Amino acid sequence: MRLALLELLRRPGRFAVAGGALTLLTLLLLFLGALLDGLYLGSTGALRAQPDGVIVFSADARQSLLRSSATTDERDELAAVDGVERVGGLGITLLGVAIPGVDEISDGAIVGYELETERIPAPPAAGEAWVDRRMEAEGASIGDVVAVGPAEYPLTIAGWVDDSNFLGQNGIWVDPPTWRAVQNANRPDAQLADTDFLALVAEVAPGGDPAALAAAIDATTDGRTESLTRDDAARALPGVKEQNSTFNAIIGTTFFVVGLVVALFFALLTLERVGLYSVLKAFGTPSRTLVAGVAVQALAVAVISFGFGALFTWLLSLGIPPGVPVQFTIGRGITTFVGITVTAVLGGLISLRRIISVDPASAIGAGV
Amino acid sequence: MNDIVHKGGVNHDDRNRPITRRFARHGYIGAVLLALREINRARLRFTLLSAAVGLLVFLILFQQALFGGLITGFIGAIENQNAPVLVYGEQSRRNIEASLIFPGIDEQVAGVDGVARSGPIGENTFTVDAGGERQDAAVFGYELGGLGAPTTVIEGRLPETDFEGVASADDAELGFDIGDTVSIVGEGSPSITIVGLAEDARWSVQATVFVSYATYVAAKQAVDPGGVVLPSLIAVEPADGVDAAELAGTITAEVDGVEALTRQAAVDGNPGVQAVNSSFGIILALAFMVVVLVVGFFFLILTVQKAKPLTLLRAVGAPPGYLVRNLMGQIVFVMVAGVLIGIALTLLVGTATTGGSIDVQLRPGEVLPTVGLLIALALVGGLASVRRLLRIDPIRATLDAGSSL
Repeated sequence: MRLALLELLRRPGRFAVAGGALTLLTLLLLFLGALLDGLYLGSTGALRAQPDGVIVFSADARQSLLRSSATTDERDELAAVDGVERVGGLGITLLGVAIPGVDEISDGAIVGYELETERIPAPPAAGEAWVDRRMEAEGASIGDVVAVGPAEYPLTIAGWVDDSNFLGQNGIWVDPPTWRAVQNANRPDAQLADTDFLALVAEVAPGGDPAALAAAIDATTDGRTESLTRDDAARALPGVKEQNSTFNAIIGTTFFVVGLVVALFFALLTLERVGLYSVLKAFGTPSRTLVAGVAVQALAVAVISFGFGALFTWLLSLGIPPGVPVQFTIGRGITTFVGITVTAVLGGLISLRRIISVDPASAIGAGV
Repeated sequence: MNDIVHKGGVNHDDRNRPITRRFARHGYIGAVLLALREINRARLRFTLLSAAVGLLVFLILFQQALFGGLITGFIGAIENQNAPVLVYGEQSRRNIEASLIFPGIDEQVAGVDGVARSGPIGENTFTVDAGGERQDAAVFGYELGGLGAPTTVIEGRLPETDFEGVASADDAELGFDIGDTVSIVGEGSPSITIVGLAEDARWSVQATVFVSYATYVAAKQAVDPGGVVLPSLIAVEPADGVDAAELAGTITAEVDGVEALTRQAAVDGNPGVQAVNSSFGIILALAFMVVVLVVGFFFLILTVQKAKPLTLLRAVGAPPGYLVRNLMGQIVFVMVAGVLIGIALTLLVGTATTGGSIDVQLRPGEVLPTVGLLIALALVGGLASVRRLLRIDPIRATLDAGSSL
């Protein structure tokens, strides 16, 4: 093992091929992951910010919040279901938002809601809004009065909330009457009555099972509703499933390429070292030590490459255009690190058979 | 070594020529034969490399195909309709779902100098009953015989009356084939009979149906009885001799509250397309770099490993160009093999990985330039090895130090 590490230290250039390729592949994997996370988190924040429980859609909406409808009258029916802690209304309208002093119109998702959560405080006063912090980067400040939609409905920014966007639009959280007023002012084609919401949110009682609650609610409403757990509702948003499967396919293939590049590299290195291995074996070094040496080298190359890859990713992130929805998360970094190192070690071990088959007698020219 | 040179393509009739001239005269064929013989004798090594390159090529081609499929699936309905200019509500940020044209704006647009004709387009996603199942479908309403009609009808015909429709051909098997009936889920369940199929005509990666504007209004009122129905866009055709881009600029400048775009600008400016464009551009650039690096370093290692025989070849008269051609021949071989593997893999896994929702297609117009670029970049990646080859000093063959290139 020491021999393997010494070789790495004294002849680092020998490992430049695998290291360089793995660094670029790490960059690719981290960037792909950040893109997937950016798209997923940016699309689903408003739903993930809801209390733990279920989102109740009208059955005809096919799990689309924007096509669903609900009224406050249905709250009592849901509140009576066993396992429900609280029930509140939820409505979302997508509109352009003009920030004072900023020429470019921002994307906004105006969210009318009733239930406060750990991430979203209780609804603000009428005419005020909690706004996703991403809008701060677009030039908005607390106290600004933004103009919403073609009707330029005024909303005052009362404070920031995090990770609350919907379908990539900035989350703007208001009380239900303000939400209805914004929608009615801007969407003459979709007017709302005083009791209207798009969906209802039922918080599950402590210790309860959200999936079971969803089934219980749909049974109670006789099929007039389709209830999904909070996470299922997020995954049901348009495009989310396709995005996830597509990106995961690309990420999976890239990991496979990582394994293959490492396997290729160590297969070549092993071919080159056959003579040396036979000498080492002739001196009594067991095959497992030689294999362990290769595994250690593969691991070390992967770890160092990940470090460089992460550094280059950070540098790349400084120059990414604002339109690219990337979000770097620690969880993704850890997953990628584990994936790269495990795949690299497995790739390195492809040479296992070759190493074991090296005949010590060949060291004195008597091998087969 | 003489044997190697002979088998490398030097003709026996050339025995009396100076050996450097033999290499020069038969260098191309000889180099290729030598390259192939070496590949044949180190099959495992070259198979592994070709497989690695094949996977990388697959990664690139798959992403490219996916990218093309995504874009077409997202905006095909706009790209393949007949209105050269589309007018959006200004605050929609080029997003059709968020766009509304308020009353009076259509008349202002029609009155702009250079507008030959204009008409409303309505778009909305509905829950529909089709093929015996409840599904989502985007419905585009346009004035029959006017602007907004699909241009890629491959079977059947355009709608001629209300409640007829042309559907996206990709969804024919899902209950959107010619003769099928698609019913809007809502009051009165208005039904649309499919009379034609259009290629690349989907919107937001879902089944799409083009109908008369009156049918669109009926569908909207079925889900929101008594509600007001407004157009999503105004479709505009420029007068003869008027440039579409200039007209779009004029409309945006003269009519308050709208943004007019040419068809192509509407496609490029779609919020989803912009994000996908920039993201995939970076991903593809990285993948190209990995290919160059893997191929470049592999051949550099091979060159270093072959230092002694290469020095001997130089010593017996092989000119540097002969060795360079041998190297380049091997790079081209590996790349061609990798490309074939990559294409096969892309065709194999295509739609399976996206659940069939995105049409993953290899289009020769996109594949050929990519393959050409990949091979060119791989040859560039081999320049480090070429540099090594050119630095070989034949005299070192007599010093038993050929390995120190």
